[in-house]
Amino acid sequence: MTPRPIGILANPASGKDIRRLVARASVFDNQEKRAIVTRCLAGIAALGQPEIVYFDDSHGIARGGLEAAAVQGTPVARTNTGRADDTTRAAAEMRAADCGAVITLGGDGTNRAFAKGWLDAPLLPLSTGTNNVFPRIVEGTLAGMAAAAVASGRVGLADVSRRAKVIHVTVDGQDDDIALIDAAATNDRFVGARALLDCERLVLAVLATATPTAVGLTSVGGLLLPVAGSEDFAAVVRFELPGRPALHRVRAPIAPGMFQDVGVATASHVAFGDRITLEGPGVLAFDGERERTLAAGQRATMEVRRDGPHVIDVERILRSGAALGVVHAVQNEELRDAV
Amino acid sequence: MTAQPTDEVLLDMHRRMVRIRNFEQEAGKLAEDGKIPGALHLYVGQEAVAAGVMTHLSDQDWITSTHRGHGHLIAKGGEFGPMFAELFGRATGYCKGKGGSMHISNMDLGMLGANGIVGAGPPIAVGAAFSCKTQGEGHVAATFFGDGASNEGSFHEAANMASLYKLPMLFVCENNGYGEYTPQANHQAIVDVADRAPGYGMPGVVVDGMDAVAVYEAAGEALRRARAGEGPTLLECKTYRFFDHVGVRGMGLSYRTDEELAEWQKRDPITLFEARLAELEILDADSAQAVHDEVLAGVRAGIEFAEASPLPDPSVLLDDVYA
Repeated sequence: MTPRPIGILANPASGKDIRRLVARASVFDNQEKRAIVTRCLAGIAALGQPEIVYFDDSHGIARGGLEAAAVQGTPVARTNTGRADDTTRAAAEMRAADCGAVITLGGDGTNRAFAKGWLDAPLLPLSTGTNNVFPRIVEGTLAGMAAAAVASGRVGLADVSRRAKVIHVTVDGQDDDIALIDAAATNDRFVGARALLDCERLVLAVLATATPTAVGLTSVGGLLLPVAGSEDFAAVVRFELPGRPALHRVRAPIAPGMFQDVGVATASHVAFGDRITLEGPGVLAFDGERERTLAAGQRATMEVRRDGPHVIDVERILRSGAALGVVHAVQNEELRDAV
Repeated sequence: MTAQPTDEVLLDMHRRMVRIRNFEQEAGKLAEDGKIPGALHLYVGQEAVAAGVMTHLSDQDWITSTHRGHGHLIAKGGEFGPMFAELFGRATGYCKGKGGSMHISNMDLGMLGANGIVGAGPPIAVGAAFSCKTQGEGHVAATFFGDGASNEGSFHEAANMASLYKLPMLFVCENNGYGEYTPQANHQAIVDVADRAPGYGMPGVVVDGMDAVAVYEAAGEALRRARAGEGPTLLECKTYRFFDHVGVRGMGLSYRTDEELAEWQKRDPITLFEARLAELEILDADSAQAVHDEVLAGVRAGIEFAEASPLPDPSVLLDDVYA
């Protein structure tokens, strides 16, 4: 198999929102993201030196990482606005460049924006965000090795990845947006500082993954009605207004270091293909961030399917060291006898 | 947690932004016509920052400003008459005509002054915040500065002391992408000034500085922390000035492109805010226009007041000089 390029995308905006004030989230500075890119490149180089395609972000994170590693790459999405659309555009360009694997640095929102541009991307998401369910903390060096193993064809993508679930959202019948972990409706009036933090404003949430092992809206379902990323269904939670008797009260870690008591009216599983409909006014939040307003009378429909990115499993790849070509049997008999 | 703004607060923020916009546009015309002495650094485009922060402050809370300071004083409650009089150098100005655009101040409103020295505001705000903490009445100090000022030693010393003494203070970086005529990429190796906050042991947050509600929410939370004794915050607002560094058209330098300006103008903080207020049926287009008309009439009355005011008598030249 001909080696394919590896894509690298770092979101400069991840790890800097209001959750550093309201909650106890850390600032994820861009110098560290740059260093992670450099370490990814070391891991990639350990398995050879394929072509690198990188998102030339507004903060020069990926470019700086390549320069530090003395690696040449091909930039995409060079004219950028500093907004999420850049990530979506970069994803489409990486798809056009036939990338065999893409490493993303960001949070759930970053990967959502990426998937909007390339829904079935071969994705290796590294966590540099705040509430992270989709990406996980993996050392960049190892992520680079894993990405190189896939892009070079040493391992088959289907053998070392799982398709992610996607919540497809339509507004008034038009395809509008997606979420990878949760899509929620609130009775807010503004997108404002974006982060979804006030659970008293929640109306409904569809959870593709509901896990108690992550912070955020996912934890509400995770503590009540868990749904693993591997399971072929989702959960829908309808919230109770403050002050009214609720079926359940969940003390949920809604952000790092921050708990809220959430009143739940109903929680149930929802099958793939089932549609959940709601009506405005309100705000729709995807993967923890308020994204768009819904005017009075506008109808939003949410549906979960497993047609998202192929999420690469780093551990599964690295367990087969011999297949990667980094472990070789010693042929010297004298040495073998001595051992 | 800071609640989303009520209708009353939204209309208040709108009025503050409209007051700034109209004042600055008229001041710009006067400057281009050579009727105002000295350089004017206009705030058009950045209104959401001043409005979003100042809505949380009272006259007992202090601010320090920059060379681009008119918007801060207006959002803090400055009146058009004494402001224009100050710009015209008249005795009825806020500083008796001796301060001008870049040194305008008013202690009654808690405005410690615009400042012609880049980065000079933060240490002054540290002093004010120290007094707020000592007096223990829950007041705060906010300092406005730009991306260029965040390279100055004075900013770093102020950040260090504010964090060390856990002062009730808000650092508001208005990152408009340029230090005067120098693109940010040519004067600092970082893009998010908020990245500097952890080095001083304080939280740093980035918000959309073209969105008054986003600034309002983030500033509200930062000021809640400050008043609760939890220390300072660095709030970076990504914004853009629609006019040149000085005046309206400036010197015609080619340090930024028309396309870039046009792209940012699509996100005019007042236009977008008015559209959302109309959607929410809080302020329709006619009512918004009425606010503009009323404010503009006030601005013109302020200009007339200034033009009719006397110049300072030479005998007061050394009055109010402390050193």
